[in-house]
Amino acid sequence: MTHGLWNLRVRIEGEIIKDVEPEMGYLHRGIEKISEDRHYNEIITLMDRTCYVAGLAWEHLFIVAAEQALHVTPPERAEYIRVLSAELQRIASHLMWYSAFVQDLGLMTPFLYGMRDRDLILDLFQSYTGGRLTYEYMRVGGVRSDLPLGFTQRCRQVVDWLMDRFVEYDQLCLSSTIFHERCDGLGVLLEPEAVAYGVTGPMLRSAGSHRDLRKDRPYSVYDKLQFQVATASTADVTGRYLVRMEEMRQSVRIVRQCLDWLDDHPGPVMAEHLPRWLGAPYAPMGNESYLLKRNYPTGVGLSMMEEPHGEAGAYVVNDGGEHPYRVKFRSPVLINIWAAKRYLPGYRVADIPPIMGSVDVCVGECDR
Amino acid sequence: MSSVTLYSVAYSIAAILLGGLAHLFPAPVHGWLISGDVVTALATVIFAAILLAASMLNTILLIWYERKLLGRFMDRRGAMHVGYAGLLQNFADGLKLFRKDTVRPGQADPLGFWLSPTAYMVTSLVIFGLLPISTGWNGGSLPLTLLLALVIFSFAPLFIFLGAWASNNKYSLIGGMRSAAQMIAYEVPILLAVVAVVVLAGSFDLNTIVLEQRNYWFWAPLFLALIVFLTGMLAEMERIPFDLPEAEAELVEGWNTEYGGMLFAFFMLADYLRALVGSILVVLLFLGGWTLPSYIPAALTSFPLAGIVWFMVKTYLVFGLFVWVRASLPRIRTDQLLRLGWMRMVPLALLSVILAALVVLARCLPLIGCVPSMGG
Amino acid sequence: MDAKQLSDGLATRFPGKILGVDPLDGTLGRIRFDPAVATDLFRSLRDDYQFTHLTLVGATDWIDHREVFYVLWSDTDRLYLVLSANLPTDAPVIASSVPIWPSANAHEREAWDLVGVKFEGHPDLRRIFMPEGYAYHPLLRSFKIHEPEDLEVKVRSD
Repeated sequence: MTHGLWNLRVRIEGEIIKDVEPEMGYLHRGIEKISEDRHYNEIITLMDRTCYVAGLAWEHLFIVAAEQALHVTPPERAEYIRVLSAELQRIASHLMWYSAFVQDLGLMTPFLYGMRDRDLILDLFQSYTGGRLTYEYMRVGGVRSDLPLGFTQRCRQVVDWLMDRFVEYDQLCLSSTIFHERCDGLGVLLEPEAVAYGVTGPMLRSAGSHRDLRKDRPYSVYDKLQFQVATASTADVTGRYLVRMEEMRQSVRIVRQCLDWLDDHPGPVMAEHLPRWLGAPYAPMGNESYLLKRNYPTGVGLSMMEEPHGEAGAYVVNDGGEHPYRVKFRSPVLINIWAAKRYLPGYRVADIPPIMGSVDVCVGECDR
Repeated sequence: MSSVTLYSVAYSIAAILLGGLAHLFPAPVHGWLISGDVVTALATVIFAAILLAASMLNTILLIWYERKLLGRFMDRRGAMHVGYAGLLQNFADGLKLFRKDTVRPGQADPLGFWLSPTAYMVTSLVIFGLLPISTGWNGGSLPLTLLLALVIFSFAPLFIFLGAWASNNKYSLIGGMRSAAQMIAYEVPILLAVVAVVVLAGSFDLNTIVLEQRNYWFWAPLFLALIVFLTGMLAEMERIPFDLPEAEAELVEGWNTEYGGMLFAFFMLADYLRALVGSILVVLLFLGGWTLPSYIPAALTSFPLAGIVWFMVKTYLVFGLFVWVRASLPRIRTDQLLRLGWMRMVPLALLSVILAALVVLARCLPLIGCVPSMGG
Repeated sequence: MDAKQLSDGLATRFPGKILGVDPLDGTLGRIRFDPAVATDLFRSLRDDYQFTHLTLVGATDWIDHREVFYVLWSDTDRLYLVLSANLPTDAPVIASSVPIWPSANAHEREAWDLVGVKFEGHPDLRRIFMPEGYAYHPLLRSFKIHEPEDLEVKVRSD
């Protein structure tokens, strides 16, 4: 299959798919195992590699769980920057999805349009994290550095441009009869089945569900932001397309609100009184006891987030050491692919690319 | 119209060459060298060489044209670095492919594997000998040129399927089968659309068909046939939206999965040769060939070789249409493709045949007792 | 519904099998239960308390035992709940939750693959990331990534 290193074993009768068996593990790097031997801030590097199209979203996920396990509270400005990053990352990830998806359908032009516009977001990331794909930007207790001068202005220009492009994307796809011939009514996964199979994210919302953790269980500062949950009712490939397109528009809305807030509220982006091994620039005087690692409190952190591919989770067990005792991630892609057993049989072989394309597969995150 | 023909050019070159050569030899050989038979024979070879060179050059130019045009559609520049605006990029690519090893999979059948690209290429080239580019600029004028060209054109699925089967690869085989099914399905509407043109022109000879369009181009009365023909040609060329045999998302690269190096280049070139043939046929059958409407100022139509120039302009515009389609449409599914072919295109083509017959009848109405002179 | 209500309700249903409730930020809490009642507890949570979504199944290798944890989500109450059960290291076996939540399938395969917890009643308990026939469970503490290991992997012949 396209979209990375995985196999889909398909049993067919003629052109009709009878059974499928996804085979994963070709990209398993043992991130959960490596994490056991690393400092919290060193794991951030791994997070970028976990999902290489949504690095900042996964950094955010892990950082929130780690902060919970370590009992650290970040300053509000850092929270806004994280949400801003996560939403920009969502747009970038969806653009990547869009490009790959339309290419599976044989559309070359929108593929390049999507990649071109994704690059603008990567430019933004580069301007404040220094990286284009692997950022290593967030830290336990905040973010590494504040936004550069003039960033909010540049970012606004980019999202304005993107809003115009979204119209163009829709014209290229939805106005084409062949697109509808190829996508309508394919890969149908209705809401009760989707819930039973654990499918989350745009796939679940395309079946009419309103489940979005940003609304249902607001983390970070999402409860202060105005946006709507994108849903569709068709539960098919077209529905997933519509949901992701609308999500990008809503993300732009969130990004604009974050930018407005960030303009008005300068401040620190890193929590104070952090132990030195957590990467605080200077250990505050009088807090040397923090340097003794065994004195640090233990705890368990669980963060669940609406990541671009679906609901991702991080479960961090802190036994008082410098390293987490156990880190466990929930990969939405793993479950969404696994549910292919339910939504692929009955369709044709030529339908596999659009259906699997609509799942938005990121194997790095699936195999970890 | 210029009186220079391709054959006269080839003959002049042959005569000059042989004339120069003959001076080096004593009288008997001299006389034999400049005798009509020898000159004619050499002229034929040169003629074929010119045709070959022209068609290959045009094909490579066509690929460049497509890359640039597609680049512009996609908001990028296309090839830029080799030659002016990337003109020589395809030669560089060809050179690279030429230097590559041609690897035959161990389980593949050698005869079929080698024969398929060669035959595909040769059959595509042969058609060029039959297509008139301007008055007198064609390989040979037969009463049934059009039919012959279409027959050779429809050899392709055979060789594609041969190569796919010989590759001994399941993706190749599926691609080959799809390709054969698709091409055979779309030959029917194409031939029916051609029948409409033939009814209107009253001849299978391409020269006659073009000359019959001196008053009006056939696309106007035969608009339906033009649409059918364009769609069918898209399917025959296996271009998006009908490139299912090469659907890379599900079939790797379709029937040429196992081909690499020069053999792949053969397939690629032959594909574009066929695209060129398709565009030329559209121009010949529907867009008046090398003729221009009478309201175009004479200065634009009377310069030397004006026919060829206008012909090429039209051909490239038609091909540009194909590129435009490629840039903006997704790929269709096999069953949808066949349904479209048999259930939409064939009835439309039949309708256009009836329309053509009605036009012919209407042309004769004022003349009482006129019998349409069809087919000579 | 709050943690107290839930734990009291469960304690009356499963007397002596609910071993305690720890607070956990952002969730209803972390309920420790006796693995012997796993299937009944899962069914009760799904049917009586509307925990319709199983979000996560994972396992941790502690020094003297292995822990299996489940993260559940109730769509009606918009709440997460964490369940946790301790299994003995020498017999890490617990009833599978697949019959109750089909979505547990891939999670449990992963937990078996990486931590070596056996789920009884799982329809298809194979390795998911590691190759079939791999001798180790990599997330066990006894598995050292820095030690050279014998990489004799049986490759599937199909």
